[in-house]
Amino acid sequence: MTELRQELARAATMLDLGRYDEASGLLARVVAAEPGSSRAWCLFARAHLGADRYQEAVEAANRAATLEPTEEWPHRLASNALMHLGSHAEALRAASESRRLAPAYWQTHVCVAQAALAASQPTQAAAAAAEARRLAPNEPDVHFLSGKVALARGDLEGAREHQERALALDPAHSGAMNELGRIRLRRHDTAGAIRHFISAARATPGEHIYSRNIDVVILRTVSRMIYVFVLIALLLLWVPPVAHLDNFPFVLGFGLLALGMLAAFAVMVLRLPREARRLVRRTLRTRRVATALAVAIGGVAVAFAAVAFVPADELPQTLPVAIIITIGARMTATARLRSTAARTHAGGGAGRNQPGPSARR
Amino acid sequence: MEPEPAVLESLRNAVAAMPDDVPLRLHLAELLLRAGQRDEAVRHLGAVLQRDPGNAQALGMLTAPAPAAGQHPPAPAASVSPERSAPSADTPASSPAVPDAPAASPSDGDDDDPVPAADDLAGEYDWSQAENELSDVLPAMFVDDAGSTSAGIEEARAYDAERAGITLADVAGLTEVKQRLEAAFLAPMRNPELRKLYGKSLRGGLLLYGPPGCGKTFVARAVAGEIGARFITVSFADLIDMFVGRSERNIHELFQVARRNAPCVLFLDEVDAIGQKRSQLRNTPMRSAVNQLLLELDDVANDNTGVFVLAATNHPWDVDSALRRPGRFDRTLLVLPPDGPAREAVFRYHLRERPVGGIDLAKLSKITDGYSGADIAHICESAAERALLDSVRRGEPRLIGQADLEASVAEVKPSLGTWFDTARNVALFANEGGAYDDLVAYLRKRRLI
Repeated sequence: MTELRQELARAATMLDLGRYDEASGLLARVVAAEPGSSRAWCLFARAHLGADRYQEAVEAANRAATLEPTEEWPHRLASNALMHLGSHAEALRAASESRRLAPAYWQTHVCVAQAALAASQPTQAAAAAAEARRLAPNEPDVHFLSGKVALARGDLEGAREHQERALALDPAHSGAMNELGRIRLRRHDTAGAIRHFISAARATPGEHIYSRNIDVVILRTVSRMIYVFVLIALLLLWVPPVAHLDNFPFVLGFGLLALGMLAAFAVMVLRLPREARRLVRRTLRTRRVATALAVAIGGVAVAFAAVAFVPADELPQTLPVAIIITIGARMTATARLRSTAARTHAGGGAGRNQPGPSARR
Repeated sequence: MEPEPAVLESLRNAVAAMPDDVPLRLHLAELLLRAGQRDEAVRHLGAVLQRDPGNAQALGMLTAPAPAAGQHPPAPAASVSPERSAPSADTPASSPAVPDAPAASPSDGDDDDPVPAADDLAGEYDWSQAENELSDVLPAMFVDDAGSTSAGIEEARAYDAERAGITLADVAGLTEVKQRLEAAFLAPMRNPELRKLYGKSLRGGLLLYGPPGCGKTFVARAVAGEIGARFITVSFADLIDMFVGRSERNIHELFQVARRNAPCVLFLDEVDAIGQKRSQLRNTPMRSAVNQLLLELDDVANDNTGVFVLAATNHPWDVDSALRRPGRFDRTLLVLPPDGPAREAVFRYHLRERPVGGIDLAKLSKITDGYSGADIAHICESAAERALLDSVRRGEPRLIGQADLEASVAEVKPSLGTWFDTARNVALFANEGGAYDDLVAYLRKRRLI
């Protein structure tokens, strides 16, 4: 029995250090030798969760629940894994069961809140988060989750307060920093959002979602810039047929538009922190983004040239073609950018490279 | 001297009649090698290894290199005649035919001497002479070899070797790492008078960091060898054991052992496990372990001479900043993926005991830029597996060739991507105080940022 306890302590330490594969190896041996140990199965489930093996995590958690039906931890573990598998209704059921078994334990309420949030039930999530806050007012993860629930309900101010409270309790809580960035993004404050994402990436460089969020914001900004550029270009294309202008002022107008967009982008970039400016440069140099920009600018330039250099009597036939070219260029450029951003989106992270608080004992 | 075709034919018939007779096959294989019929010899050696996987003689014949094309080594002075080494009718089938003592052996003339056991015979067998004898029948292991493989294998000890007493000379490539080690650690240590003159203290340890599988542990061993110190290594498993017991006492005892063994290098592998940021640790014994480690490091600096603490980590950014203050692990050294010469050496090392032929190490080194030492080991393993499966399919063994290795390189992707993603984040966002300037320089050089 002492040996089992020692092996489990060893496995728990490995899990705390984020060494999921080593822990899995050890626990596989332990559960083979002691299949009746509920704690061993729970730790095994946690190891699977940490290594993104969700189906195995559910199976291990279910084994633990069968062995010890009054224990709440297996249900929390199962809920967490089911959430990752996309079985939100089942996840919520498992979380509710854990809360029924241990209503005085704040982690069970956090688990319910997480599952309800994933199941798009923000009202239930808010109630569970409030109960968790009542039980553990000084737990940063509780405020972090409350902030996420508030953000999902559109309460930006409430979300900000909760995340700031989480940071006050744990100044290194990178998840809260990331959430503050997402709140800024919802307020269309790109530079502010990037600053928060940078803080999060600085606090936890191993969590790649934060730097990906920065990339997403940059791509969105470039996409928006292309949109505005094309929109103004579309308006300017109507100038020659309506105002009967010469070529020179028309071409000058196109040049000024391009320069104006460039200046606006440069100002936005200059407002960013130094690290983000470096990232912007790198993003602009990637092939997809460079292609998107080239397609947008090239398409608009072709359309302008067509309108500027055809004889005035051919303008009625040329103008629709120019408009189609401009819109086509914008659509191609946006599709190009979307394929870059498709791999990720400005998402939230737990803040640590470990299963969330609801998975821990 | 080449064997008579008739002798070969009769031996072939004998082997066909007794396919499980290992000594007979070995003898036939040796004669075939001598006759230049390499393919058939390799097939027989493969059959021997199927029946007796550890047969040293068969392995020796398979792996013994031949000189580069066009070279004809002189005939061996003391070759074993077929008649002498052929198994006699009353020799037990299990007794080896070829590894008898060479003709010049003093025991040859004395028939009354007891026949040594097979193991004894193997111990007396002159392998280098046998290699010379067979050197013209197998292709050179590596295309750039000028008749010798030993130099490369010496260099190859840079990776994965687990023997004590190595020095930096045994570390192939990694010139920059060696230079920085010399400047930051070894030069002051080797010159106590100059150190005293300039008031340079030896306080503090050295933290080696870099991607996994790139030789940090080996470099640490080499440092110990370089300063002639004992080497105590504490692995991740040891650290876990410490946490399970009374961690503070365990850490204290570890340092006590190091002090008793001074001069001694105490090497803490994967120090992020023990020295993880305390803010990330929820487990109380682990938090107190970090505190104890800090205490011991300060003791080393104040009270002990001759204890040099080296540590290695893949994630220095997860190491508690308190551990990296002056007097503790205040010097860091980036150990990067192996450079060209180091990659060649790693290939040599992992292929040294495998039947290979015609390997172009320079080309392999070129196409594995960005691979870790562990990746290269995996490539060699994968190439061996490919050759083995092919041998099974064809029913005859063959050597591992360049094509196998190149196909494996195409299959095995470098494993360092995730590490470099994190390193990029560190370089961009967390290089406070220039702690990771060398990493930033490397990433810039490789256009990763």
